[in-house]
Amino acid sequence: MIRIDDLSFRYGGSSQAALCDITLDIDDGEFVLITGLSGGGKSSLCRCLNGLIPHFYGGKISGRVEVAGLDVMKHSTRELATSVGMVFQDPENQLIAFDVEREIAFGLENLSFSPDMMAKRVEEVLDAVNITALRHRHVDELSGGEKQKVAIASVLALYPSILVLDEPTSELDPKGAEEILALVKRLNDEMGITVVLVEHRLERVMAYVDRVVVLDKGKVVADGSPQSVLDEKKLSRAGIGIPPLVALAHGLRDKGIEINDIPLTVKEARAMVIRTLHGKNVEDCVISEKRRDRNVQDQPLLEVKGLWYAYSSDLVALKNVNLQVYPGEFVLLMGRNASGKTTLVKHFNGLLRPTKGDVVLNGINTKGTTVAKLARQVGYVFQNPDEYLFCDTVDEEIAFTLKNIGFGKTDIVRLTDQVLDRFGLMPYKQCYPHSLSGGEKQRVAIASVLASRPSMIVLDEPTRGMEYGLKVQLMKFLDDYRNGGGTVILVTQDVETVVEYGDRVILLSEGRIVVDGTKREVLSRALLLSPQVNRLAQSLRGNGVRGDILTVAEMLSVLP
Amino acid sequence: MASYKYRDRGTSIYRLNPWCKLTWIGSIVILALVFDNPFYLLLLFLATLPMVLSAKVMREWASLMKFSLLLGLMIIVMNALLSNRGMDVLWQSPVSLPLMGTIRITLQAIVYGIGQSLRLMTILSAFTLLIFTIDPDDLLLSMRKLKLPYKAVLVSSLATRFAPVLMNDAQTIIDVQSCRGVEFDRGKWFSRAKRYVMVMIPLLSNSLDRGVQVAEAMESRAFGSGQDRSFYREVQITSSDKMILAAAALPCFTGIYMCYLGQGEYDYYPILGSLSLSSFEVVMVLVLMLLLNLGFFLMYLRRRVLIDQD
Repeated sequence: MIRIDDLSFRYGGSSQAALCDITLDIDDGEFVLITGLSGGGKSSLCRCLNGLIPHFYGGKISGRVEVAGLDVMKHSTRELATSVGMVFQDPENQLIAFDVEREIAFGLENLSFSPDMMAKRVEEVLDAVNITALRHRHVDELSGGEKQKVAIASVLALYPSILVLDEPTSELDPKGAEEILALVKRLNDEMGITVVLVEHRLERVMAYVDRVVVLDKGKVVADGSPQSVLDEKKLSRAGIGIPPLVALAHGLRDKGIEINDIPLTVKEARAMVIRTLHGKNVEDCVISEKRRDRNVQDQPLLEVKGLWYAYSSDLVALKNVNLQVYPGEFVLLMGRNASGKTTLVKHFNGLLRPTKGDVVLNGINTKGTTVAKLARQVGYVFQNPDEYLFCDTVDEEIAFTLKNIGFGKTDIVRLTDQVLDRFGLMPYKQCYPHSLSGGEKQRVAIASVLASRPSMIVLDEPTRGMEYGLKVQLMKFLDDYRNGGGTVILVTQDVETVVEYGDRVILLSEGRIVVDGTKREVLSRALLLSPQVNRLAQSLRGNGVRGDILTVAEMLSVLP
Repeated sequence: MASYKYRDRGTSIYRLNPWCKLTWIGSIVILALVFDNPFYLLLLFLATLPMVLSAKVMREWASLMKFSLLLGLMIIVMNALLSNRGMDVLWQSPVSLPLMGTIRITLQAIVYGIGQSLRLMTILSAFTLLIFTIDPDDLLLSMRKLKLPYKAVLVSSLATRFAPVLMNDAQTIIDVQSCRGVEFDRGKWFSRAKRYVMVMIPLLSNSLDRGVQVAEAMESRAFGSGQDRSFYREVQITSSDKMILAAAALPCFTGIYMCYLGQGEYDYYPILGSLSLSSFEVVMVLVLMLLLNLGFFLMYLRRRVLIDQD
């Protein structure tokens, strides 16, 4: 039981309230999803539930928080640990011991449980989380998803009645994320643990939860069952990503069709569509492709010939990859974890050199040049902008790259201003990069790479852990860049986001290219890789719906 | 790929009680400090090899040895240049140099340098075993038994735990900055060093963030509750462990006794002492070598017994 009465909080040194007049009751056994834009107060709310606020993070707090009968203001985080288990975003930063069993026992040791008792609890938790096979493994040999499971096990060992998870999947690949969410669902179902989950990929969790709470600027703006919250259109106005199936329902409603229940799963959506189709014909529409025809005499911008790459004799990451990318293409590079995607794109700007074979960019073989020299041709964007912004102001950050690759002073000033203007960063020119919001930081990072006007840009999973609004912003920008003649290569596993963009998909598996074709060909035939709307379309083929529909707009155009 | 961290490679040395390993490593280090005779030091160095082989860490060991060999060469060169002692002058600078005076390179100074390098390599080789064969968690528990404060021990253990993570972070930042046109391999060492500032600043700020998050996670799992901690696993010492422990300590006492008898001493200056040993000394050295490997044999013997029991 969680009771929050009129809670307000402001971090020390901040002028803005992180939480504002929040009143919320959560019953035992509920599965509550908390969502909203970043900076909306989701993490702060979580921290209030186990006393990290106000005991670890100081600030000005008012109101009352009662968790499992304990007043959070009067009980320390340590005392609350046996009532509230807290799982954080980055699994790496929650694990303290070297092996899995000791990691799980850490909390029990702190509370000085007897060795017998610890052995029993460790055993139980290993089973509950289904990681018995990992028990003797070393933490640093585990995958991200496995680490997160160990983190969940380690808080469960204290037998909390409430589990709070603050974006537990944002650092994980789709498969790992799916496993964590299924695990949390099972803990809620079978063990009756109350779950408070922060997550922004609504399409993945909506079907699991009992209740959705939306936070915006520290206030609760919506609270109710998933159907009722998703029914309101104000969510999309608040910049929160509406799951594609929900968007489809909204679209049908706009067409004047009566929809009672908002669908949360492909199965429900299928029933909804069949109801609407009742007695009507599917419209046969021609899906317009934004195809750009290539001239026969076009030279490839990038050519990969017989590329092999081995990290060591027993770890061969790329096996005979052949590939040509032409100017103006938007390529999506997809595949499982460890399929060689990152290894491949690191060859495009010389970060890695082929063990065998050649990578030729604009006629230059990467073997004979440096990463710095190639930086004029290829912009390479890494995932986390926090990892490399280090100058005092935004314009210095951009000038830094230009100076390194050899532009003169006047050019630097001119190009910096141009790129700042194009990215809408002019107002922040003199700001300290780290004080900007997540989206702004990402824009600075991309601007610093694109200032020198490279002919190709490579992005390695830029949307992982990013909220919906920022993803759309980024994808739109990439589309503009491509329409201006640039070439985009995007490594991604986030099919729902990229499905509207890009025109060619390359699928890697175990270091080889297994499929290389147009987006429609590849994504409409894959099983797990297909976006939700396509899975829906495929299951409706018997009703006359084309099986290669990918987006909500396309689906709406064929339905009456 | 050589990875500089503990990994159980499945041989019986990893099952051995950490105290036995610590004692054995301690014996080698103490003996390397006690003996001066380069022949004895060489034998000590060789005595670490069976352990390295049986721990299957040759590759990691070799790359650390390459580094210590480099360090050893530096010691030899520096000592030869800076030490003026010794009678057999091999070369003398024709003029007196400012600050350094006349440089005299003597045979004795070179041999002394070699002796010191051997000592260094022996100690480093033993430490390799410490890093690669003792589970850091076990090491933490053992240190705890030595009555070192838990928090201090935990902090050093966390530092080891996060070292590979930070190395990874640093590599990513280097990659990112290369993509932004920084050429890390170019220029004089000073400008190179300056370039690493742009790696250090983001690395530092990332690490601070990590630190806060680790603290949060520990706090959330009742760390520092004020009660005494209990331990999930204690390092248990069985009677066969005790035997191996004694066997690991024995060479240390024997060696010290040999020293007391005047064995293993060596005069480098002013002229090199003789390396020839009396027959008693030869016997003693052989005994010492055997004792150094005694624990090793016992370990295998125990495994055989355990297998037979199964």
